[in-house]
Amino acid sequence: MLGRIILAMVLLAAGPASAQWFHIPTPGIPRTPDGKPNLTAPTPRGPDGKPLLNGIWQMNGKYLQNIASDLKPGDVPYQPWAEQLFQARQNGALGRTDPAARCIPGMPKLDALPYPFKIIETPGMVMMLFEGFTTFRQIFTDGRELPKDPNPTWFGYSVGKWEGDDWVVNTIGIKESTWLDNAGRPHSDALHLTERFHRRDFGHMDILLTIDDPKAYTKPWTVKEDVRLIPDTELLEYVCNENNKDYDHLVGK
Amino acid sequence: MAAAAMAAVNSQAQWVQYPTAGIPRTPDGKPNLSAPALRTRDGKPDLSGIWDVLHNRPCPPEGCTDMWIPQEFLNIGWSLKGGLPYQPWAAAMVKQRMKENRIGDPNSRCLPTGIVRMYTTPLYRKFIQTPGLLVILNEREATYRQIFTDGRPLPADPQPSWVGYSTGKWDGDTLVVQTSGFRDDLWLDANGSPLTESAKITERIRRVNFGKLEIEITVDDPKAYTSPWTVKLTQLLKADTDLLDYYCIENEKDGPHLVK
Repeated sequence: MLGRIILAMVLLAAGPASAQWFHIPTPGIPRTPDGKPNLTAPTPRGPDGKPLLNGIWQMNGKYLQNIASDLKPGDVPYQPWAEQLFQARQNGALGRTDPAARCIPGMPKLDALPYPFKIIETPGMVMMLFEGFTTFRQIFTDGRELPKDPNPTWFGYSVGKWEGDDWVVNTIGIKESTWLDNAGRPHSDALHLTERFHRRDFGHMDILLTIDDPKAYTKPWTVKEDVRLIPDTELLEYVCNENNKDYDHLVGK
Repeated sequence: MAAAAMAAVNSQAQWVQYPTAGIPRTPDGKPNLSAPALRTRDGKPDLSGIWDVLHNRPCPPEGCTDMWIPQEFLNIGWSLKGGLPYQPWAAAMVKQRMKENRIGDPNSRCLPTGIVRMYTTPLYRKFIQTPGLLVILNEREATYRQIFTDGRPLPADPQPSWVGYSTGKWDGDTLVVQTSGFRDDLWLDANGSPLTESAKITERIRRVNFGKLEIEITVDDPKAYTSPWTVKLTQLLKADTDLLDYYCIENEKDGPHLVK
């Protein structure tokens, strides 16, 4: 379902782009002698020596379809009910029950969207602005603790801190109805996500995503997602429910 | 509405009651809303904060609902003597829209509110002022708006959009934001006052003091209005809290039941 929306949006985006901020030079980017962004330049660092994460990034699209696409069969440690539900969702059998079908992807699917997203670091909070669904996450870096008994939300509650050169984000309190990927991997209200952002060089970043959800999986499991910098551009507007034709054709409850 | 009601119950355990760091406070620890506006390192007023509408519309006898709308939500020209200077076709259309119970209102279909209605929607907005960019995060549909203050020009031939393309520059202590590139079919209020693709909107945003923002909005849309018009909106600071995610579309049941 989402795949079709994605395709439509990509096609739309390609047309009118030239007249807009779609092609605007990003200041402060290292460039090769011919003026192109040097994406293999060293990781930029702030005055505190920590890597800077600011910029517009794009996730490898395969993880939205299948978050475990780099794992071997059998590597995902399902609890029996979670595996049954995952199997029941195969081939779109329950596509209508994915909140993303109604334009609310939630976490952690949001991170895996194959559209650009922008990271903006501010004192005490890091914003992620997503082109997909024109939505955002706030990740607090002001030292606050995760809430003890959070009201579940679509994005959950996120705090971030540095561990060496990795920026580590912990998230809890995600509504249990969200899917981990389009393949339909479920989670429970016990989900604790850890994202480890590691900027390898100027143009490349890894996000190590650990899914710790003892109700749905017998042990924590980790996937490594790769993200690339998209220089000299800007986010476009994306309104999922503007002309959502898929929902009525999806099946399931 | 359900989200707001639920929040009231569960708020203890969450960040909706988390103290905001670094804000002026009175000796008893409460936010000092009449303190002067804070300034960023470059000396400009800092517009950052969570903002609510000014509740200028009396509640009905049965009491306020949890979506307590201001006058401008219904009629953006409420404060103007003689109302908005509609072109004849626009006046006729507004009349028709009201007669039809506003059935075509994009807001009722959970579509984007656009930049003017975002200020009159009784949910919170968070301004975050960063070098080169002012970001507005909205509770409603968890969307955002970017206002570029890095000196870039407005695009010459923009792809029409719900929120348009916005740039801002400082005029003394007032941030002047220019926006163009709108769709041709936007609503500025629940009455259905139109906004067309010919529109340019200027916002003059001034932080009167720590607790208050004044936003003077000038709509220059010759296709729909006979002259440019200006209204002033007030936004009030909400300290010691944070945004919740509010999705109109989450359990939307109204659509099929709306009638003319």
